[in-house]
Amino acid sequence: MSVILEAKDLRKEYPGKLALKSLNLRLAPGEVFCLLGQNGAGKSTTINLFLGFIEPTAGAAYINGLEVAANSLAIKKYLAYIPENVMLYPHLTGLENLALFSSLAGFRYREAELRVYLTEAGLPPEAVARRVGSYSKGMRQKVGIAIAVAKHAQVLLLDEPTSGLDPKASNEFSALLQQLSGQGTAVFMATHDLFRAKEVGTRVGIMREGELVDVRPTAALNANELEQLYLTYMQ
Amino acid sequence: MIRSIAQKEFASTLRDRRFAVLSALVLALLLAATLVGRRSYQAGQRERALAQHTVNEQFHHQPGRHPHRVAHYGSFAFRPRAGLSFLDAGLDSFTGTSLYLEAHQQNSVNFSAAQQSGALLRFGELTVAFVLQTLVPLLLIFLCFNAFTEERETGTLPLLLSQGVTMRQVAWGKIAGYGRAAALVVGPALALAAALLVGQGREASGPDLWVRLALFVASYGVYFFLVIVGSVVVSARQRHARTALVTLLGCWMLGCVILPKITANLGASLFPGVPKAQLDAQVHEETQRGINGHNPQDVHTAALKAALLKKYGVKTEQELPISVNGVVMAEGEAYSSRVYQAHFAALTRTYERQNALSTWAGLLNPYQAIRPLSMSLAGTDFAHYVHFQQAAESYRYQLVQHLNRLQTSMGYGDKERRLDAATWQRIPVFAYQAPPVRWAWPALLVPALALALWAVGLSWLGLKWLARSPVV
Repeated sequence: MSVILEAKDLRKEYPGKLALKSLNLRLAPGEVFCLLGQNGAGKSTTINLFLGFIEPTAGAAYINGLEVAANSLAIKKYLAYIPENVMLYPHLTGLENLALFSSLAGFRYREAELRVYLTEAGLPPEAVARRVGSYSKGMRQKVGIAIAVAKHAQVLLLDEPTSGLDPKASNEFSALLQQLSGQGTAVFMATHDLFRAKEVGTRVGIMREGELVDVRPTAALNANELEQLYLTYMQ
Repeated sequence: MIRSIAQKEFASTLRDRRFAVLSALVLALLLAATLVGRRSYQAGQRERALAQHTVNEQFHHQPGRHPHRVAHYGSFAFRPRAGLSFLDAGLDSFTGTSLYLEAHQQNSVNFSAAQQSGALLRFGELTVAFVLQTLVPLLLIFLCFNAFTEERETGTLPLLLSQGVTMRQVAWGKIAGYGRAAALVVGPALALAAALLVGQGREASGPDLWVRLALFVASYGVYFFLVIVGSVVVSARQRHARTALVTLLGCWMLGCVILPKITANLGASLFPGVPKAQLDAQVHEETQRGINGHNPQDVHTAALKAALLKKYGVKTEQELPISVNGVVMAEGEAYSSRVYQAHFAALTRTYERQNALSTWAGLLNPYQAIRPLSMSLAGTDFAHYVHFQQAAESYRYQLVQHLNRLQTSMGYGDKERRLDAATWQRIPVFAYQAPPVRWAWPALLVPALALALWAVGLSWLGLKWLARSPVV
């Protein structure tokens, strides 16, 4: 199996706190891994380690075979990131924000192409030329999705991306993830949303107090079983 | 990448109403200061040129007189305003405008704006330099204090960095963007200054003035670059915008208000100057020890007279082909001039030491680097003032000695005779030639070096430090 994202004994400690305890994980292209866990379980720490925003205390994270800590800039071209709350530049329009982030990733699109990315991400056509300061959280999230898609990344790192999205937008987002997964993009998604994890995930992992305590293929569980499993670990 | 971020910062800044209002205010102040400064420069220049012309005419049109009476009648030297003094008035308001030139006496430059104005001048003048040195940095601080803290607080920084840019690239982009915004505020005023220089014709704005203006603009460019880089670095190292703003305002207050006053006071106490009255008393006392042409009982005069009789091989003053009084006056003038120059040089050295302390403080405080640099380029610093004073003193000495030579050539009994009116018309009048910028180079060196060191240091160390800032 080819591996696009990997953690080897990945560990992160802060003074007086163990944030991540020896994580071992491998993701293949096209796989959607949903990481479940309570707030403070270590999900965002894991994502930040894969992004190279923080350095591991021990072990290593790899993207496309490159060690993240040693290649924190080079690995960025393989991945895209959508945080829980996509914050953009309020004085710029949706189009301008997408153009900026795309250009930073090395892609220069014509305005028509930018419009397609934004509308395909679910942003109403009439909103694309409006300043982002007037956008709702859901609309910003859609611009964030467009930024990730326009980057053509091999790995998507998502930190509770559907938080705050209405059911329709969440559904559209799930469809988009499945489409990207079908094209070979690996997705690593931290979420509280068990339903969405079951719907789009190929595997789910449960994290508790910095430790990945269980990993299951979603096909082996129905929604109720997943919920029970999750609740068992959270007790 | 840097260009994209710069463009984004520039566009965001222009669309920010708070910046638009603040920058419009600063721009209006700058334009007003430029126009008011220019008007004051032109009025001052006209007045001084007219006054100089008037006293020159009066000198040339004196009736037939004894040369020593002409030496006591004297003349005036009016200090022309430097071409860029409308941008930075420097010490002009405090150093006086005119100098009375007479025999035996080295007077001070009088009639400064400070002497003639009310107490309001103590609040400082609204000059282009004041706005550029103190208000524009404040505007830049308000513009840049949240450069990174806002990104961090709103969460855009991780998204930005996840695209494959480094903190350093983001910082350079921001610096370039803010630089463009700053140019938009400062540029029109400096363009207006250039246009005003063009408008005054080629003679009044020679190549030297353009070199000075170019260096003036470049110096402020570096100064603003420092403020922007410093603000961006502080913003990157602070977690919250409020802390960054308080830190930067503290730096501004320290740099623009506290440190200059501390170094000025320190300079005055380390190198105390002699009060004017004391200097005059010392010069007077020492002059009395030398030859005194107005004292018939003076032993030096008697000795000189004896030496002249011996030199010409005659027994009485009446037999001499020259006027003893003229020679005595010339010797007395040379002596008193040497005494004065020694005291003046000592006093000037004291002031230069005081100023040097403040200038070297530019290595610690960019504000104290740009101030002397700006004044020197505008031709309104202490060195330029001393240059004028020395030029005027040199003219006074030459004039008085010329008149003494005329008296000497009149022979015995000169006191009873006069020289005709045409004699005074042949004497050249005082025409001050301000020094070129290359003359000011030694004074420019330390502050220019300090600014350059700050620029390199902040760009290198500051951004290195910034690159280690936490992302999340």
